[in-house]
Amino acid sequence: MRPLTEEETRVMFEKIAKYIGENLQLLVDRPDGTYCFRLHNDRVYYVSEMILKLAANISGEKLVSLGTCFGKFTKTHKFRLHVTALDYLAPYAKYKVWIKPGAEQSFLYGNHVLKSGLGRITENTSQYQGVVVYSMADIPLGFGVAAKSTQDCRKVDPMTIVVFHQADIGEYVRHEETLT
Amino acid sequence: MEESPENLSSNYDRCPVFMKANREMKRLFVGGLGQGISETDLQNQFSRFGEVSNVEIITRKDDQGNSQKVFAYVNIKITEADLKKCMSILNKTKWKGGTLQIQLAKESFLHRLAQEREEAKAKKEKPTTVNTNLLEKMGGVDFHMKAVPGTEVPGHKNWVVSKFGRVLPVLHLKNQHKHKISFVSLKPGAVAFSLTLNNIMKYDPSKYCHNLKKISENLTETIPITDLTWELEGGNDPMSKKRRGEFSDFPFPPQKIKKVQKSKGPMESKVSDISLRTNEVMANNKSAQPTTAHRKAPSTAAPSKSLHVPSSGSQKPKHVVFHTSDFEIIWNKSRMSDDDIDSEEELKMMIAKEENLQKTRHSLVNESENDLFEVVRDDFKSDTHRLRSSTSSGNDDGCDSSDTDEIIAMKKNTGKVKNSAESPQPEKPISMRSSFKKRKPSNDCVEVQNTKSNKESALGHEGKFLNPKFPPDSNTSDSEESEEDEEYKALMKNCPRVNLTLADLENLAGNHQKVPGNDESDGAQNTSHCKFNTTSKSPKTSNDLRSGRQCICPEEILASLLEEENTYSKQKPEETTLKPKFQAFKGIGGLFAKESGDKTLKETVDFNNINEQSRSSLKHEEPNRVFIENGSKCANGSSNKLTSCQAAKKVNSPNHIQSPKRQSTCESQSHKVVSSTCFDKESQNPLSCPFPLEGKKSLSISAKSHKIDSDRDTCHWPKSRKAPEKEDIDSSYITSLEKPPNVSLREDPQKSTATFSLSVSDASCMSAKDKHAEDNQKRLAALAVWQKAREVQKKLVHNALANLDGHSENKKTHIVFASDNESETEETSTHEQNCPGKELVKESMDKASGKLFDSSDDEESDSKEDSTRFNIKPQFEGRAGQKLMELQSHFGSDERFRMDSRFLEKLNENQTNEDELAAERKQTLNVVQSVLNINLSNPTSKGSVAVKKFKDIVRYDPTKHDHVIYERKQEDKEKESKAKRKKKREEAEKLPEVSQDMYHNITTDLKEIFQHMKNTDEKEEDTPSNEDCGREETEEISNAATLTSGAEQTSGFTFSFFDSDTKDIKEDTYRTEPVKRGKIVYQEDPRFQDSSSEEEEEKEEEEVAKEADHRRPSPGYGMGRVVRLMGIFLVWKSDAAADLNTSWGTLANQVLTYSGVVWEVVLAEILGKPEQVVSLWIVGRNIKKLKGS
Repeated sequence: MRPLTEEETRVMFEKIAKYIGENLQLLVDRPDGTYCFRLHNDRVYYVSEMILKLAANISGEKLVSLGTCFGKFTKTHKFRLHVTALDYLAPYAKYKVWIKPGAEQSFLYGNHVLKSGLGRITENTSQYQGVVVYSMADIPLGFGVAAKSTQDCRKVDPMTIVVFHQADIGEYVRHEETLT
Repeated sequence: MEESPENLSSNYDRCPVFMKANREMKRLFVGGLGQGISETDLQNQFSRFGEVSNVEIITRKDDQGNSQKVFAYVNIKITEADLKKCMSILNKTKWKGGTLQIQLAKESFLHRLAQEREEAKAKKEKPTTVNTNLLEKMGGVDFHMKAVPGTEVPGHKNWVVSKFGRVLPVLHLKNQHKHKISFVSLKPGAVAFSLTLNNIMKYDPSKYCHNLKKISENLTETIPITDLTWELEGGNDPMSKKRRGEFSDFPFPPQKIKKVQKSKGPMESKVSDISLRTNEVMANNKSAQPTTAHRKAPSTAAPSKSLHVPSSGSQKPKHVVFHTSDFEIIWNKSRMSDDDIDSEEELKMMIAKEENLQKTRHSLVNESENDLFEVVRDDFKSDTHRLRSSTSSGNDDGCDSSDTDEIIAMKKNTGKVKNSAESPQPEKPISMRSSFKKRKPSNDCVEVQNTKSNKESALGHEGKFLNPKFPPDSNTSDSEESEEDEEYKALMKNCPRVNLTLADLENLAGNHQKVPGNDESDGAQNTSHCKFNTTSKSPKTSNDLRSGRQCICPEEILASLLEEENTYSKQKPEETTLKPKFQAFKGIGGLFAKESGDKTLKETVDFNNINEQSRSSLKHEEPNRVFIENGSKCANGSSNKLTSCQAAKKVNSPNHIQSPKRQSTCESQSHKVVSSTCFDKESQNPLSCPFPLEGKKSLSISAKSHKIDSDRDTCHWPKSRKAPEKEDIDSSYITSLEKPPNVSLREDPQKSTATFSLSVSDASCMSAKDKHAEDNQKRLAALAVWQKAREVQKKLVHNALANLDGHSENKKTHIVFASDNESETEETSTHEQNCPGKELVKESMDKASGKLFDSSDDEESDSKEDSTRFNIKPQFEGRAGQKLMELQSHFGSDERFRMDSRFLEKLNENQTNEDELAAERKQTLNVVQSVLNINLSNPTSKGSVAVKKFKDIVRYDPTKHDHVIYERKQEDKEKESKAKRKKKREEAEKLPEVSQDMYHNITTDLKEIFQHMKNTDEKEEDTPSNEDCGREETEEISNAATLTSGAEQTSGFTFSFFDSDTKDIKEDTYRTEPVKRGKIVYQEDPRFQDSSSEEEEEKEEEEVAKEADHRRPSPGYGMGRVVRLMGIFLVWKSDAAADLNTSWGTLANQVLTYSGVVWEVVLAEILGKPEQVVSLWIVGRNIKKLKGS
C-alpha cells in the first residue's frame, strides 16, 4: 500500500476525468473529510483518512483491500476502471446513457449497447466519451464509452453499437472473485 | 399456312403422303375392335380411303387385367366423300372379332396445341406486316431502319430511330398537369422530379427503351381493382372510405408498381417508393434522391420519427410533405385513371398521419416501445428520477414531518419533563404551599402585595378570611408559576393539565386553608393571629410573627425571583435551597417575630393610627411571645436541627454560608435579625411593610450599611422598638435604590421601593425623613456594590444549590419548628451555633462569614478559591494533557495505575500523518489541475472551511447540559412577565372590590398616560411618587386607579393598610404602560360577555376587560392585548425596549381569586426583543360571582 506516484495519479485521473470531468476535484477535495488514493496490488483504492489509519495496522501481505477500489493498473500501466467506483463516479457523471429495459440484461452480461437498446443519451456526447450507463429507472448500471456521438446515434441503424461496455454491475456476480 | 400441318407430326414425314388439295386431316374414332388388332391392320384398312398418318390403339382393361374395350384413333387425311364412303362401308361391319363403329373424333389436343402455336405465330407476324403495309401505304417508309438509335429519319421531322431500330416520333408532351408539377416542385424532395416532368415536354424515344410497349401494357394490362373503382365524394371518415371500398390496410398491388416502373422508368421509381414499402429497396437503388430516403424513414420508421420526442414535431411535417408529393407524382404519372390512386394516396397519407400522431402520443407515453432513442441534455433528470425525487422528497417530507414530529415530540417530552418536573412541584407546593403563596404576593408587586401581605398574613391571619379566595389562587398561581416558569409553551398546550393542576392546587389550597396553621404555625397561632388581625387589623404583623415558613417562603420566593432572572432551571433548586436558609432565618424571625410584629404593627398603625399600632403591637407581642414560649422548648431542638441543616447547606452552597453570616449578624443584633427576616420578606414583597423591611435589610446587609442602619434603628427604636422601623426605612430606601438597578426583579422596583420608603417614612416619623438624604447616598453607594456582589452570589448560589433539592423539605420542617418555638435568646444562641458550625463545615468557604449578607467579599474570595480550585494542573494542559487526563480517568486515582506522559501517544505521528495527507492532497490536486486544465482556487482552504462548517453543526440534545447554550433564555423573562401579569391580573380582579367611581373618573387620565407614557416619564413619575406617596396617598391611589383599575383595586382593597403597596402598584402600572399593543386573537366566551368594557382602550382587551372590568383593568395590560381561548385568555403585550430592561421578575406571577373563580395570569416577557409577549391565562369558573362581588 503506497500513495500513487504522480504519473500514476495522472493516468488515473485522466481516465476518471473522462467520466466525471472537472467533478474530479470533488473527489479529491471533499468537504466531509480527507480522502486519498492508495495503490495496493496494482489496484487503486479510494480511502478515507480514518480507514487509512486503520489499514496501516495490517501488513501488506495480509491486506486484501481497503476503502473502495477504483480500478487497477494494467501491466502496461494503463488504468482500468472497476465497477466498484461506480458509486463514487455516478453522482458526478457528466454524460449519461440510459438503456431500455430490454437491453439492460444484455449490458449487464458484459455486452455493448446497441442503438436498439439505447433509450436516452445526453446531448452533445462526443465519440469515445466516457459515459455512465443508467437504466431507464435511473439506476447506474456501469461504465461505457460512447461509440457514436449523439448525432451519429440518430443516423445509425438499430444494430450498431453505440456504447462500448467498460464495466457493469453484473461484474459483482460475474467477477466476484476479482473484484476487491 | 399449308405447310404448318405438315410439321405437326413426324409421321407425316415418314409416311408417303398423297397430297390432295381437298383432303383434310380428320381424326376418326374406331371402336369395337377385337383383341388382336394391330395398328398396321387399321392402317391398312383405312389406307384405302385416305392417307393414314397415325393410329393409336387404346385398350381398356378391368381390374383383373382383362381387356374390356379396345378402340383406336386414327388420323387420316381424307376427303369428305371418302370419309362418307368409309363410314358407310366400314361402320357396323364385323372385322376381326368385333363390329366396327367409326365416328368422327375430336382433334387431338396435341395437334390442336400445335395449331394454336402456329396461329399465334401467324398473329405476331401479321401486325408487323400490317404496320409495314400501313407505313408503306402511308409514307412508304420502312420503320425498321438499320441505323444508330437517335438518328433522325430522313424526310420526316421528329421521327427518330429508337433504341431497337424502330422509328418512332419524338413526342412533345404537353403535360396537362403542369400546375401540379409546379406544386410538387415546391417540395424539396420532389424538385428533381418536377424538373424531369417539366422537361418531359420533349420525349425522345431514342433515349428510352421499351417505352411504347410499356405504355401500351400500362394502358391495356393489369389495371388494379382500385383503378376500376370510382371515387365517391365523401369525407375521410371510415364509413365513406369503406363505401369506396378503401380500407386503411388495403394492400397495394405490387405488380402494378413494377409494371409502372417498367413502363415509365424514372418517374415510376418514385411512385414505387411511395406506393409500397416492399419496393423501397428498388426505389433506393433507382432514385438516389434524398426524398426517397426520407420517405423510407418515415414510412418504415414512422414510429421512430414520432418517437423522437424532440424532433418528432419537425419530422412529421416532412413526412406529410412526402406523402403529398408522392401522391401527386403518382397522380401525374397515372394520369387518366389515377384519380383512384390519388384517393389511395390520400388515404395512405391520412393513415400515416394518424399513425404518426398515435406514435407521437405513443412515444410520449411509452418511450421504451419506440425504436428511437432519446437525446437528453446534460442536466437531464429522468422522469423516474423526478418521481423518485418526488417520492424521495415526499419521503423527505415525511422524514421532515417525522423529524418535526420528533422535534415536537422532543419538545413535548421536554415539556413533559418540565411538566413532570413541575408536577413534582405541585407536590412541593403542597409541602411548600405557604412558600408559593408568598411567592405570588412577592411577584405581584402592587395590589398583589396588598393581597399578598394579606395572604401572607392570611396564612396566619387572613388566611382564614381570604383563604377561600386566596388558596385556589395561590395554588393556581403556584402551578402556573412553576409550570410557566418551566414551560410556558407546555402549559399552553396542556391546558387540561393546567386545569387539573389547578384543581389539584385548589384542593391543596383548600387543604392549606384548613391547614395553614400546620404549615406556618399551628392553628392556635392562626387563631391568635386572627384575633390580632381582627383587633389590630394588621395582618402583616401577624404574618411576620406567625409564618416562620410563610415569611421564609416569600423570602425564598424573592430570592428565587432574583435567581429566576438568571436561569429558570436553577430557580427551583435555588428556591428550595433558599427556603431552608430563609427558614432558618424565619425561625429567627419567628423568634424575633414579636419585634417584627411590633414593627409591622407600628407601620400599619402609622398609616392607620399610631395608637392602634401600639395596641396591636402590644397584642401581637403578647401572643407571639406566648407562641414563642410555647415553641421555645421545641426551639432548642429545632435550633440545633437548624444549625445542622444550615451547616449542611453551607457546605453545599456558599450562599448558605452567607445566610448564616446574616444570621450571625442578626443574632448580634436581635432587632436586626428580626428586621432582616422581615427585610427578606419585604424584599420579596416590597409593598408590605415587613417585606420592605426584609428587602431593605438584605440590601443593607449586603451593602454593609446594616450597622449604620441598625444604629439608626436603635436610635429610633426607643419609641416602641428601636431599629426595625428605621431599618425598615433605611432598608426601604436602600431597596428603592437597589431595586432600580435590580431591574430584572421588578418592572417598577423603584416605585415600589419608593412607595415603601414613603410609607415607611410616614410610619417611622420625621427622623427617618431627615436621614433619608444621607441614607440615600449611602444606599446608592451600597447598591452598586451590592449589585455586583449579588450577581456573584447568584451565580454561586445557582451552582451550589443545584444539588440541594432534597435538603429543602427537611429543613423546612426543621425551620417550622424552630421558628415557632424559639425564644430570642435561644434564637441567638442557635444562630451563633449555626454560624460556627457552618463555618467549620465550610472550611475555606468564608473567612468573613460572620455577617450574613456581607458575604459579597466572601463570595468573591470563594469565587477566587473556586477558580483556583479548578485550575488545570500543568501536566494536563494542552492537547496532550487532555489525553493524559482521559487516560488517567480510566484508572482512577490509584497511584499504581497512574498513567503518566510515557503512555501518551506521540502526537507527532498523527500530525505528520496529517501533514503527509495534506501534502498528498495538494499534489493530487495539482495533478487534477493539470489533467483538467482548471484552476482550482484554494481547494484546501475550501475543504478545510467546509469541514469546519460541517463539524460545527451540532445536533441539539436537550438532555446535555452543554447544550443549554443553544437554548434561548427568553423564558426567564417570560416567567417574570408572566408573574407580573398574574399580579396585575390579580390586582385587576381584586379591583372590583375597589370603588368603581374612581375608575370611571380616571379613564381619561389613563388614556393620556398610555399615549404619552415612556420609560423616562415613568422614572420621573416614580421619583415624585416616592416623595409624594407619603403625603398624598389618595392622589396616588387615584392615579394608580386611573392608570389601571387594578391599581384602584389594590388601593381600594388594601389601601388603608398599605400605602407602599399601592405605590408599588402604581409603579407597575407605569412600567406596563409603555407597552405596545400586540396582535390579539380573541374569542369571546359567552360567560364573559356580560360585563361592559370601558377601561381598556383596545378592542380585544375590552372584551377581556368586560369580564374582569369591574375588578381588573389590568394596569399593564391596558396596552397589551388579550386573547381568550377555551376560557383561557392570552394577552400579548409588546413593550418598548426600555421597558424590556426593567425587571418583571417581581411581577412574575399573579393569582387572582374571586369567590371560587380562579384567574390565571401568565405573563411572558421577552426582554431581548422590542416586543414583549404577555400571555394571560384566565380560567374563570364563576364570573357572575365576580360581577356580583
